[in-house]
Amino acid sequence: MRIFGLSIPVMDQEKAFQFYTEKLGFIKKVDIPLDGGHRWLTLVSKDAQDGPELLLEPAPLHFKPSKVYQEALMEAGIPWTQFDVDNVQEEYDRLTGLGVEFSVKPTEMGTVKVAVFDDTCGNFIQIVEQL
Amino acid sequence: MTFYEKELQRIHSTVYSNQGQIDTVIAIRNYIENHYDTELKLEVLSHFRFVSKYHLLRLFKKYYGLTPKQYLINKRIEIAKDHLAKGTSVTETCFAVGFKSLGSFSTLFKTKTGKSPIQFQKEQLSRSIL
Repeated sequence: MRIFGLSIPVMDQEKAFQFYTEKLGFIKKVDIPLDGGHRWLTLVSKDAQDGPELLLEPAPLHFKPSKVYQEALMEAGIPWTQFDVDNVQEEYDRLTGLGVEFSVKPTEMGTVKVAVFDDTCGNFIQIVEQL
Repeated sequence: MTFYEKELQRIHSTVYSNQGQIDTVIAIRNYIENHYDTELKLEVLSHFRFVSKYHLLRLFKKYYGLTPKQYLINKRIEIAKDHLAKGTSVTETCFAVGFKSLGSFSTLFKTKTGKSPIQFQKEQLSRSIL
């Protein structure tokens, strides 16, 4: 058994696809059409295309508890997941320049530095740099 | 302030309150990052920060979840993958990342990646042709 990656719940797959590729810089790996206009849509990091995949999953659209959970996390400011970056401050500056909104500005937490932004699809995402 | 921000503050004041320890382990990690290709022993690392080697081992594991040695091996394997993907020979790669024995390099590489260095390289090179 192997770990495939992780999924992120999104209301609108196309909107999420644009945010995660154009702003965050991920690239498309697999895009399989499913029923009802939905897709099995996964992304990978540019420099780790064999690495874990990110599944943009339209769960909150069809399954109420998923939406409730997602909203509760958002309300509490809790990130859905986190991504590693080489430099949090640089990513913060770059993403802020692209209009991305941060709920937590670059903050040192012992051996890591973190920041949290809004993915505009219903989730907070944390970026982490190991110090 | 959100629940999460409060949690960050709380964790900062409980888990990460000892800045002296944090400065030490960060310096050690940076040292490993920059000297992974040299012969690194706990003695070297502890001299460099003036702490006992057992204390250093405990501290590093406490903050990074790995011993310095495990961290070093992971680092070397990551760099070795880059070398192999670029076509560097297995022997050259082994010594370039700081391993002293080809046998232990191959074994470690297979344990960590599931493939021997030569298998890994063949896959990477055939992929770049495609």
